[in-house]
Amino acid sequence: MSSTMISSHIPDLDLITSYAQREGTFFSRVSPWTKFTGLFLVVLLITLTRNLVICGVLYLIILGVYASAGLPVKKLFAWYTLPVLFVISLVGIMVWTEPGTPLFSWDLGLVTLTLTDNGVILIFTLLLKALISVTYSLFFLMTTRYQHFSAMIYRIFPAPLDQIFLLAYRFLFLTLSMTGAIFKAVRSRGGGIIRSIRVQGRIFAEVFALVFIRSFDRAERVHQAMIARGYNGKYEAGTVIPKPGFSGIFLMSAFACAIAIIVLGMPNPGGFF
Amino acid sequence: MTIIRRDPHAPHCPPIDKMRDLIHVDCASHTYPDGSVGIHDMCFYVLKEEIVALCGPNGSGKSTLLEHLNGLLTPSQGDVWVNGRSITHGERSDLWKDVGVVFQRSDDQLFAPTVLDDVMFGPLNLGLSHDDAEAAAMSALEGVGAADLVQKLPNYLSGGQKRLVSIAGVLAMKPKIMVLDEPTSDLDPLHSERVERLILRFKREYGISVVIATHDLDLAARIADRVCLVKNGSVFAEGTPAEVFYNPVLIEEAGLALPQTVRIYLDYCKAQGREPGQQPIRREELIRALQSSPSLKSDR
Repeated sequence: MSSTMISSHIPDLDLITSYAQREGTFFSRVSPWTKFTGLFLVVLLITLTRNLVICGVLYLIILGVYASAGLPVKKLFAWYTLPVLFVISLVGIMVWTEPGTPLFSWDLGLVTLTLTDNGVILIFTLLLKALISVTYSLFFLMTTRYQHFSAMIYRIFPAPLDQIFLLAYRFLFLTLSMTGAIFKAVRSRGGGIIRSIRVQGRIFAEVFALVFIRSFDRAERVHQAMIARGYNGKYEAGTVIPKPGFSGIFLMSAFACAIAIIVLGMPNPGGFF
Repeated sequence: MTIIRRDPHAPHCPPIDKMRDLIHVDCASHTYPDGSVGIHDMCFYVLKEEIVALCGPNGSGKSTLLEHLNGLLTPSQGDVWVNGRSITHGERSDLWKDVGVVFQRSDDQLFAPTVLDDVMFGPLNLGLSHDDAEAAAMSALEGVGAADLVQKLPNYLSGGQKRLVSIAGVLAMKPKIMVLDEPTSDLDPLHSERVERLILRFKREYGISVVIATHDLDLAARIADRVCLVKNGSVFAEGTPAEVFYNPVLIEEAGLALPQTVRIYLDYCKAQGREPGQQPIRREELIRALQSSPSLKSDR
């Protein structure tokens, strides 16, 4: 667990960045634009299809790519907690209204909830879609050097969004490290022991307030330090992003063609199977 | 030079000599919005190619004064002149071109994705082209001995490396005056020594005037040409390091402790039962003074 890590179920920014800075792997040498195009195509495909098989195959391919890039698979599964909880909380409402062959009914007196085969498939499809996007996004972040990533943000987003993203990076690390340090200080004096929800809630509220105040103060000082070097409201990212090679363009074109064939060629692309 | 004592309650600043003073603070006072007084009746000046140490305990107003030198703060009363221009009544938007500030906490200063991007930030703001800014940044990083960190992320640097990169970020802008707030605080001895050597080089090789705010009197003793003692938001005494640091009453009044060299020499003289004949400030001066001591000579 790194110093900035709050929970093993929350993606560790420090770890993600340290993987991103490695240069030895094949995927870290692939142009960030190629990987970004891949991300766009993956999102496009999972938006267009509801096919469980396609989603399953795509997920396995992306998981394979993630693992072959030397990225930590065990940690990835731990990081799945939040997206899985998100999907389940969402599907938990939708799943009971899905038409299909009833599998299970639950009589609550006023209403009867019925789970159908399509409802179950919906759960798995949405779960896979969430895991595909999370896995590919993490793969993209963990194989793209931060300076390239920030330069891409600078080129893609309009002002002031690009400025916010560019400056948020360091600030996020500092805030996380500050939060980690405060939690350590709280734990070191027995503050981590759960006594009651009220006490624990108060401690979290105090830590949150402290982090907020300190972050505000820190932001002020960072801003002053920037003004001291002539900051006039515009920060330019100077890093040159490597252009995609022929193989990258070919691979992404093939992927785009495959999506077109899958979506247009299938008799029922929006169906579950 | 003899010690100049100033009465904070009846200040009298010497008039500005525009040919001589790079910085001239004329009875400046600053009150923060919450009503607390940062500095008051402050008299202070910096000459060309001079290293001035502002020494005082925490909360004495050193950092507030430093922020006035770059135009980050303006005095509520009095005036601050930088390079012959009044920042109180005149234009202060480009003051950062003349006065570079290295902040106490490097994490406040380093914000860009990579070391190179961060050091290039100042030169780009000066209007340099991308290539020229990169060349200036590389030259500054080489100047501080941190060229190997060029592609690193600031988040993964050690405290000492962050300080060197912060200094390079200011050096790349080629300022006339460099202001460093507690330049060696939180640094290991090796990095402290490196920063010290750099400050001396700025003066010697680049002709930069340096102002350091510190409560480390050993550092001030080793590198400063002039020491200003700050207490309760005002400079109350100034002189050469030897004059100031061999005045224990003054140091006690400032709420500080004597530098190690001075303490060792004074304790030695006391143990020998004789009056201190010299005023060694640096380590080599202390060694010479002790070697020339009559008792040590007779022991041999």
